[in-house]
Amino acid sequence: MEGWAGKYLEIDLSSGRIENHPLDKEMARLFLGGRGLGARLLWELVGPEVEPLSAENVLIFCAGPLTASGAQTSNRFTVTTKSPLTGTVCDSNSGGWWGMQFKRTGYDALIVRGRAERPVMIEIQRDGKISIQDAGHLWGKTVSEVTEALGQNNNKRNVLCIGPAGENLVRMASIMNDGTRALARGGPGAVMGSKNLKAIVVEGSEKNSANDPELFRFMLYETGKLIKNSPITSQAYPEFGTAVVMNVVNEIGALPTRNFQQTQFEGAEKISGETMADTILTGNRACWACPIACTRQTKTERAEGEGPEYETTWAFGAQCGIDDLPAIAEANYLCNDLGLDTISAGNTIGCAMEMGEKGLVDTELRFGRADLLLPTIADIGYRRGLGDELAEGSYRFAEKYGAVQYSMTAKKLELPAYDPRGMQGQGLLYATSNRGGCHMRGNMLGPEVLSLPRLVDRFANQGKAGIVAVHQNEAAVVDSLVVCRFTNVAVSSEYFARLLTAVSGIKFTADDLLKVGERVWNLEHLYNLREGFGRADDTLPERLLNEPVPAGPSKGHTARLHLMLDEYYQFRGWNEQGVPEAAKLKELELEGV
Amino acid sequence: MDQRLYEQFRDIGRDIYLGGITSSHGGNMSVRVGNRIIIKRRGGQLGRLKEEDFVETSLHRKDSGLLRASTELIVHREIYLQTSALAIIHCHPRTAIVLSMSRDEIVPIDNEGSYLLHKVPVISVEYASGSKEMADAIASGLKGYKIVMLRGHGCFAVGQTLEEAFHWCSTLEEVSDIILEASLLHEPFIEYRRNAEGYQKW
Repeated sequence: MEGWAGKYLEIDLSSGRIENHPLDKEMARLFLGGRGLGARLLWELVGPEVEPLSAENVLIFCAGPLTASGAQTSNRFTVTTKSPLTGTVCDSNSGGWWGMQFKRTGYDALIVRGRAERPVMIEIQRDGKISIQDAGHLWGKTVSEVTEALGQNNNKRNVLCIGPAGENLVRMASIMNDGTRALARGGPGAVMGSKNLKAIVVEGSEKNSANDPELFRFMLYETGKLIKNSPITSQAYPEFGTAVVMNVVNEIGALPTRNFQQTQFEGAEKISGETMADTILTGNRACWACPIACTRQTKTERAEGEGPEYETTWAFGAQCGIDDLPAIAEANYLCNDLGLDTISAGNTIGCAMEMGEKGLVDTELRFGRADLLLPTIADIGYRRGLGDELAEGSYRFAEKYGAVQYSMTAKKLELPAYDPRGMQGQGLLYATSNRGGCHMRGNMLGPEVLSLPRLVDRFANQGKAGIVAVHQNEAAVVDSLVVCRFTNVAVSSEYFARLLTAVSGIKFTADDLLKVGERVWNLEHLYNLREGFGRADDTLPERLLNEPVPAGPSKGHTARLHLMLDEYYQFRGWNEQGVPEAAKLKELELEGV
Repeated sequence: MDQRLYEQFRDIGRDIYLGGITSSHGGNMSVRVGNRIIIKRRGGQLGRLKEEDFVETSLHRKDSGLLRASTELIVHREIYLQTSALAIIHCHPRTAIVLSMSRDEIVPIDNEGSYLLHKVPVISVEYASGSKEMADAIASGLKGYKIVMLRGHGCFAVGQTLEEAFHWCSTLEEVSDIILEASLLHEPFIEYRRNAEGYQKW
């Protein structure tokens, strides 16, 4: 194969039917793969009448044209579904080895639909044989138990599965691959659980070879040079992991603390990447074909495992008022084993802590109670006691107690580790994100803090919308190629375009790719409009809009979304209600949808 | 950062830019303050430096300063660790860059350049921006010279102050202009310096 395998697999768990389909070449050109292809297929397959946890919802696993090509970080893949947490289009994206191995089975995508009567697993063997097998003996097992039982072997056989949280339909359940990698945001694990699908094991033998090996080798050299020359990808992430960001975000007063009540955490240094390197870090590890190696291998007095990365360290740290790094690491290990999104879990626990302190809910949870992290996470994963309510996510939890103002979510997805009152563009990004409050739809940390590609005033509003939209489009195309977004710290679209040209033999320019990104973004937006979402949903929690930051470098600021949203819609070519104009749809070749 | 130190950065930065020895966003500067380094942030413009354009980071260990500091922080840190430098300037003097692409050292032929610099070695590395290989080579070169050229890229100069390092940078470009312009005359060079061959061995 050269970029695309040219076919996808569809498995209906209700009927047991297994079918191959050719991949439409025009669809591949317009949406590439990964997130883009997933969104396009979901548009066709899952309409507004479908409940996310019903048999009619689908899971669409997609590789991209660069997956398994050998380009730096070309290990990634996506899963797309209708989210049980947000009700929006949702894709989650993961690294490791599984994506590479799946591509080597000779498929660009796998669509899983229906619901098995009993727990099952899917296996794609090296000889191409595909089977649906009984998985009753695996039901109830944790991620590490299942991964080991099914013979995970990083270069030959790769396991993707859910843990107890997915089985129990926890709305923030992740799908895990290769033991510790997560397709986490938006609760795809619950969709997999609703289908009685415990695991998917893949073994592949095909190669994604470059159409133009000479150009490909040159581009690998050039992109490798950029990654090696960037202090972020060659030093900061390998040595300190993504939690190297902690002190910087805290310093500028944009670190959400105690459920976004403050924006600086007095314990930030204790949970930073630097402290991790000095205390619990035992080594670092890389995904397939990755020269960055940001993965943390850590060990506490009681346990060892992978992580935590920045968002997790924040979620169980500053968000919960906890500066106990070993406790945070152990919370991460447990989330991985149960199959839980750490951002949503930590954010939701922080919400419960504030509500507990305010006497709105009967719980022992209080800010700083590191001792309650593990039991609370376990209760969420197994839906026990208060955990059963927290398993619904912070929005539904807070709503139940008439206190939705304490849910720090956008479109019911728990916000991550940047307070938009200290980074105005990030607020617009959260509010307009198609899968809800998320930093991976085009993080403004680059332009607003790290000078990537240029430093912009983080408190400015006018002129910010275009920058946000361009970053969103670029994120969408990187997620469709699929490569790791950390590569994008050093490598821009002009390089990705040439890499794709070298692999596929089809000429792509940087502008072509950004157009793909814009197309994907608009299609996802159209999907949400069809689901009934509108302008009123492009918003932020009341606290961020109306409560000024009490102290620190961002003191006095709120998230001034009202100054940016109209400009954003205009830049996007949408009307005042956020509906794309006909000319925009024509420009993006989306008239047919 | 101390206001006086900021003013030094600002004024020297403006002189470097207006002197035409770096582009709008090229080059960087730092000083060593005890066991800390104060360095220009990535993307800051030398010609219009603001107080928020600086990052303070540890001399002895990496930290989150990596995220915002100049890409060449790794080189600055290595220079401070291997030499007695207290200030470093990196810029892109264009004539010196031209000369660096055809020779392994720049030996001044003018009187002041000979007196001040004697000889400027040209260092060549595969990854000529922000790499460990480059940091080691530049730091090693600066153990024996006050300024070195990185082939096809620019110079690194050290001093006890930013002004001193700037002096070496501006002198190198003057030296290089003179070499280039003298060569354009296509006339025999009359050696006027006694024991001038000593500069070659410097």
